[in-house]
Amino acid sequence: MTKPMAKEIKAMAEITGVPVDADVAGRIAHSMAPAFEGFAAVAGTLPFDLEPATFRLVQAAKVSK
Amino acid sequence: MSTEPALMSLTAVAQAIASKKFSSREVTQSCLDRVAQWQPRLNAFMAIEADAALKAADAADAALAKGKSAGALHGVPLAHKDMYYDEGHVVTCGSKIRRDFVATTTATALQRLKDAGTVRLGSLQMVEFAYGPTGHNPHYGPVHNPWDVDRITGGSSSGSGSAVAARLTFAALGSDTGGSIRLPAHFCGVTGLKTTVGRVSRAGAMPLSQSLDTVGPLAQSVEDCALLLSLMAGADPADPTAIAGPLPDYLAATRQSIKGLTIGVPTAFYVDDLDPEVARILDETLAVLRREGATIVQVELPEQRQLTAGCQFVLTTEAAAFHKRWMIERPGDYGAQVFMRLQNGLAVSGVSYLEAMRWRGPALAAHNAAVAGVDAMIMPVAPVAAPTIAESDVGNSPDAEAVIQRLTRFTRPINYLGLPSLSIPTGFTQDGLPVGMQVVGRSFDEAMILRIGAAFQRATDFHERVPK
Repeated sequence: MTKPMAKEIKAMAEITGVPVDADVAGRIAHSMAPAFEGFAAVAGTLPFDLEPATFRLVQAAKVSK
Repeated sequence: MSTEPALMSLTAVAQAIASKKFSSREVTQSCLDRVAQWQPRLNAFMAIEADAALKAADAADAALAKGKSAGALHGVPLAHKDMYYDEGHVVTCGSKIRRDFVATTTATALQRLKDAGTVRLGSLQMVEFAYGPTGHNPHYGPVHNPWDVDRITGGSSSGSGSAVAARLTFAALGSDTGGSIRLPAHFCGVTGLKTTVGRVSRAGAMPLSQSLDTVGPLAQSVEDCALLLSLMAGADPADPTAIAGPLPDYLAATRQSIKGLTIGVPTAFYVDDLDPEVARILDETLAVLRREGATIVQVELPEQRQLTAGCQFVLTTEAAAFHKRWMIERPGDYGAQVFMRLQNGLAVSGVSYLEAMRWRGPALAAHNAAVAGVDAMIMPVAPVAAPTIAESDVGNSPDAEAVIQRLTRFTRPINYLGLPSLSIPTGFTQDGLPVGMQVVGRSFDEAMILRIGAAFQRATDFHERVPK
């Protein structure tokens, strides 16, 4: 997973409607880098049919020892 | 039984009022006396409503004299984290932005406790918008830990942890999105229950992250938490995410033995880089559980760092979406750290956010498979006891997020999986600071973790110790 760089974050923030300057964008990139690195093994690997509501199904499934 | 009513447990004081051993006024006055004594040192209360509380206590006593009891908590004074809407009352959410916000509705969880007869003492301090794990608050000042007032309470339910520990209230609602009930319970030496996502209605509770937010109590004992959960849990027309269906008898669960149960301990991550005293207390906790009849086994869990990352994607994005309007219109009214953390959500694209949401199902399934051989897991809440207020005051410094992530690294994976987790006091460091462990159960199986926690508390007295 590619972690966003400051320049990209600055552009994303502008599109979102909450613009940030270059320094803040750099700080956000630094803060969020570990999360992007941590999620890298999952990103782009999920099966086509998987939707978020699967979580509710797994939650409700009976699990016994 | 103590002669100072405020020192009693929630269940004991409720029985004492019901049996007229103490009046609600006597109990309420006892709590107010302790509030007056401790509040200057702790800053645990946001608002103290002494006159109204005593008036409500008198009404409760008058009703009881006529044989009318509202319910299981008739006349019991409580205060809660200042993010639960209570019609007609100011609910600051720990913020400047909502300093004068008067709620027009009452949170379902709070209403259910009021329906059981509770008396409102006031409201409790919290981290601004419940977004931070330390207990610092730039608008209202930090909340102090009653075991050492130079140390943090943990957050975001900072006032709840501090006030319950100092016996200013018998229990308090907190909320847990990334550790906000379990961390104050751990740092302050009280019992805290993070419920399964969907177990307790969030209607009328200030939102931070709709996928991760949970409502739960902090109290002196597991039995107290079980009583509160039994009153609050269940379906709610105002919150479609609150699950319908029959509820277990949580109080009955607390009376069951743990003989024959199997409890897992992680082989990695939650036991890595622990402070030596936390590691010692984990070992001692396992020894107590063995003595009570449980079998302890090691369990290899899936990679936890991915869960932490997924949690961060979901939390930062949803928090930024909730706050977007104020981020545009009132950026200067946020504290520096909370605003900085809200800005972090701007880095996560819609696709990345939805990948994190889509992966929750498979991640929970993998967790369930890993813990299939055990009834529950036990692990530390945090790798250290309470740091000092000074050393954890990182504001919006470039490394603030890293400091926050270190404090919450054992709590966030549980939030991502939506699991219930009970933090119980399990020992003290040589400096006299409390240390808690979390018992993590299967989805919606709060009964099992309450059962294990109560068995531990029958065998120990850490939860009964009161700071001087």
